[in-house]
Amino acid sequence: MTLAAPAATVATDGPPPTRRPRIRRHRWFVPLAFIAPTLAIQATFLFLPLINTFVLAFTNASTIGGGTFVGLSNFTTLASDGAFWAAVGRTFLYMAVAVPAITVISLSVAVLVNTSVRGASIVRPILFSPLVMPMAVVAVVFQYVLSSDGLANQLLQGLRITTAPVPFLNDSDLALFSLMSVTVWKGCALYTLILLAALQNVSRDLDEAAQLDGASWWKRTLRVTLPQVQGTTTLVAILAAIATLRVFTEPFVMTGGGPGSSTETIVLYLFQRGINPGTDAGYASAVSLVLFVFVLAVAAVSWLVSRRDRA
Amino acid sequence: MSAPTAQRPAPSGTVPLRGLKQRERISTKEKLIRWALMLVAVMIVLGPLLWQLSNALKGAGETTVGFPSTLIPRNPTLDNFVTAFTAIPLPTYLLNSALIAVMGVTANVVLATLTGYALARIRFRGRGIYIAVLLATAVLPFEVILVSTLLVTRGIGLQNTLVGVVLPQAVSIVSIFVMRQAFRNVPHELEEAATVDGAGPFRLFSSIMLPSVRGSLAVIAVLGFLDSWDHFIWPLVILSDPDKYPVNVGVQFLSGTFSADQRVISAAALVVMVPPLLVYFFMQKQIFKGLAEGALKG
Repeated sequence: MTLAAPAATVATDGPPPTRRPRIRRHRWFVPLAFIAPTLAIQATFLFLPLINTFVLAFTNASTIGGGTFVGLSNFTTLASDGAFWAAVGRTFLYMAVAVPAITVISLSVAVLVNTSVRGASIVRPILFSPLVMPMAVVAVVFQYVLSSDGLANQLLQGLRITTAPVPFLNDSDLALFSLMSVTVWKGCALYTLILLAALQNVSRDLDEAAQLDGASWWKRTLRVTLPQVQGTTTLVAILAAIATLRVFTEPFVMTGGGPGSSTETIVLYLFQRGINPGTDAGYASAVSLVLFVFVLAVAAVSWLVSRRDRA
Repeated sequence: MSAPTAQRPAPSGTVPLRGLKQRERISTKEKLIRWALMLVAVMIVLGPLLWQLSNALKGAGETTVGFPSTLIPRNPTLDNFVTAFTAIPLPTYLLNSALIAVMGVTANVVLATLTGYALARIRFRGRGIYIAVLLATAVLPFEVILVSTLLVTRGIGLQNTLVGVVLPQAVSIVSIFVMRQAFRNVPHELEEAATVDGAGPFRLFSSIMLPSVRGSLAVIAVLGFLDSWDHFIWPLVILSDPDKYPVNVGVQFLSGTFSADQRVISAAALVVMVPPLLVYFFMQKQIFKGLAEGALKG
């Protein structure tokens, strides 16, 4: 440190406890050299496509090429596009069922494994493992699990709960809920992990005080422990809500949107109109913008909630 | 003492639980309830995978129905795995995924390190704006710009190439912020000492700063690998040639296009899960750290 002493005396403006971390000033090209590669890629593959999405939404462009300005025509068509609003309805139903399910199950499992009971340390990594499994492969596996002679039906029939196979993926009323179960199965891994991390940061003092007062385990968990992870629980619900707005892989792999169009979500509709089999880039861009509005709405709710919590 | 406290006697031994001290002995009743529920949870997670493994190990003559009596294959065989590697292009898919992962991880690490360093340790005009832009774009789902990104990528001639798969998703906002935080934690004294020794900004970065953030480099490398193995919609859109498919696109393609042998697809699906699961079990610490920081940013 003797070497650094002269520099330190020059650079230190105030007494050590109050001194701000000093950030160095360099020649103009130094920061540019560090951020230029990221900036170049973002300019090409993020900013340009984002602007392009706004432009395309007002044209009748095709993914093959061409396109002229058509004003608000895409949006007026969209407003009366029954297939689109049906997809929006399904996506929101998906959110309304999957988000509470994911939040409640993840929180329960996190409380369950937040213990020093022997075996919990082996169980934890197993329960988190689906978070690294690719969704597309999980979907392929569950396509078999939920098929007419798959594991789910074998279990139901083995336990004498049903006699005929349940058409999990072939019934237009049931298929969407079957897909939700896969989303929940995979999603709970990540969200349980996040909630467990929060639970492990909870101070045990309050819990012990409540215990001395004679509160039961249920009461202490519901009234003492869980309120302390309320912020994280809200975060998990919001992350899950945004994830359900983006659901694509499950319906694409497992049902292709069917039977009929009973599992067609917003992103799947966007894909089918804009990429395959459709090539209607302009119209798909308008759909993209509506999707973006939905995501921003959820993000805005999360911002309002976090502001309220801080106040 | 009231009943519930009597059930859990006064603190005796301390059992460390991830740095947190458990100060109570757990009653037998609680243990049994927890074990039962944990067993249910583990079965729900492992059940589908074990059933797949069982099917993958069964020969063509053996039934896959009649669970649970038929769960353990009578004549276990690796034939389905052999078929997966020979009759379907699984090796090609694995190679493609490996190339995508290597390129993706390299790009993610290099870009996030450079950008994170600039945002943490260099003062420049527009830095605050750039950070705000990065945070704002973190809210933008890729699906929103999917169609336009396809047009742009095709426009510069990268359609149907592995580079075209990697580049649009090479920048990870989470990685940038993980690295920014790591560089902020490097002591300023180190930097001063090196500057006095005459190190320029780039020497300083490569010989002082980089070695100090190795732990975080591992975190973003691991997360980058898992991300690249999971990316589905973009490779599906940009690649038209099935010979270029990464594993997850390839396996769902095979399971969907022709009446494939379910046991072979099951074997292939399990093979695809092995690399991320290996990384997961050996690099848990890095994954949990990265996810925790990423979740906070979200």
